[in-house]
Amino acid sequence: MTSIANETQSAKKERAPITVKAVLTNKWFLYAVSLTFFFGLWDYVAYKKILGSSLARPLEVVNYMGYMINHRLAGNSLWGHAWASTRRILIGFSIASLIAVPLGLMMALNKYVNAIVKPIFDLMKPMPPIAWISISILWFGIGEPSKVFIIIIGTFVPCLLNAYNGVRLVEPELYDVVRVLGGNRRDEIFQVCFPAAFPAIFAGLQISLSVAWTCVLAAELVSARSGLGYVIIKGMNLGRPAMVLGGMVAIALAALMTSQLVGLLEKVLCPWKREIEGL
Amino acid sequence: MEDGNKTMAENGNTHAKISCKNVSKTFIQKGTQQVHVLDGISLDVAENEFVVILGPGQCGKSTLLRIMAGLETASTGSVIINDKEVDGPGQDRGLVFQSYMLFAWKTVMGNVEMGPKLRGVGKEERRKVAQHYIDMVGLQGFENKYPHQLSGGMKQRAGIARAYANQPQVMLLDEPFGQLDAQTRIYMEQETVRIWEQEKRTVIFVTNNIDEALFLGDRIICMEGKLPGRIREVYDVNLPRPRKFTDLDFLKLRHEITEASELTL
Repeated sequence: MTSIANETQSAKKERAPITVKAVLTNKWFLYAVSLTFFFGLWDYVAYKKILGSSLARPLEVVNYMGYMINHRLAGNSLWGHAWASTRRILIGFSIASLIAVPLGLMMALNKYVNAIVKPIFDLMKPMPPIAWISISILWFGIGEPSKVFIIIIGTFVPCLLNAYNGVRLVEPELYDVVRVLGGNRRDEIFQVCFPAAFPAIFAGLQISLSVAWTCVLAAELVSARSGLGYVIIKGMNLGRPAMVLGGMVAIALAALMTSQLVGLLEKVLCPWKREIEGL
Repeated sequence: MEDGNKTMAENGNTHAKISCKNVSKTFIQKGTQQVHVLDGISLDVAENEFVVILGPGQCGKSTLLRIMAGLETASTGSVIINDKEVDGPGQDRGLVFQSYMLFAWKTVMGNVEMGPKLRGVGKEERRKVAQHYIDMVGLQGFENKYPHQLSGGMKQRAGIARAYANQPQVMLLDEPFGQLDAQTRIYMEQETVRIWEQEKRTVIFVTNNIDEALFLGDRIICMEGKLPGRIREVYDVNLPRPRKFTDLDFLKLRHEITEASELTL
């Protein structure tokens, strides 16, 4: 048996000596400089009240977040509000993706399904999801269903589009491979079409998730007694910048967490992609 | 320089494994525009013969191979393989693609065992078959790697193993080493001869590389350099194996083929 060692590539990194230049051009050092500058500038502007008194200092924001964790606002701590928003997103996002992804796959695979669904979809697509808020409140009231409804509307489009395009962009020769190996149409779909579309589907889910956060905040700003959108609108009404900024930070953290959750799911379901990204 | 039938008679084999009879192919583009890709291709290939189809890009050679594979249908004429007319892809033929076409979501093992899996072979047995061909192409130790973790040459080894694992009688290779660098390419050509001598199959190998053709083929089918694709000339390569790119006889035949075609191959 011949060796194929000459075909494998090995990448060895040599450890460079520590010099002033190496430190100044170090990625982590520059990250630290960047963040220090940002927070420093923020703190300076807030301290000097350059933008008036409506900018809280960074430490005030952190302190207020701690205060909100320990003190209830409208019956909920900060955790409670964060969970209220996250729960709406998880429900709406799950319902939308469970319908939109299979529908997108079917549209890409079957021209009749496509011909029936596409006109309606194209009609709905340009409508910003937030435009649905008023009508959904009229339909479902100001409770949970109207917020979940907005999220479903908003996440449906990117979920469907990405599943559809994921199938459409599969390299056609891959189907030839299956056919030559003796596979039938069913094998083409399950062995090539779906797995090849997986990364695109997950890209769609990630986009959907950020749309979902926009939707839930908009809905909560309009009418809610809980959720992070409620926290920031309450902060505005009470004239407390630290409360608004604290709510915003909480939103960013919660959105990051849901995005990580979907990323984790992708890593479990697409192990070959994990290898590509070297994680 | 004889025609195909006489060559087979010399080989003492009167029964063709593959027989193309007056195969022509016309594609219709944009509704009405006709493109004649192949015109009157007749070709007989004996069992276990290594035939190279040589021609520049866009000369219809890949289309001919796809017709043999059953992925395209001939506009006129027919292809007969094992006394049966080709009317679709089948397990008796294996195809290796220029751009590898491995399943990115499957490991080397998953790719190689795909053929037996689609035919419903049990897991244990298909693993055994796949392992045999993974060993044959020298990919042992890489069974659980994903395609993107392999170099170009290793990807094509996996592609070859995948085609072999379906145990076809005819191997069709479509410019399989076209994307490799020169060194890896020569190395893979040597490997191809080794594998072919180890597991004899009837091979149709499409290439645009004259050295590759001379190194590999029992017979070289030289195509016209423009559409519609026609057979210009057939060369017998009676050089002993292993062949060397610098042997005098090798270079003589190379000179002859180059002179006969207006193309710089």
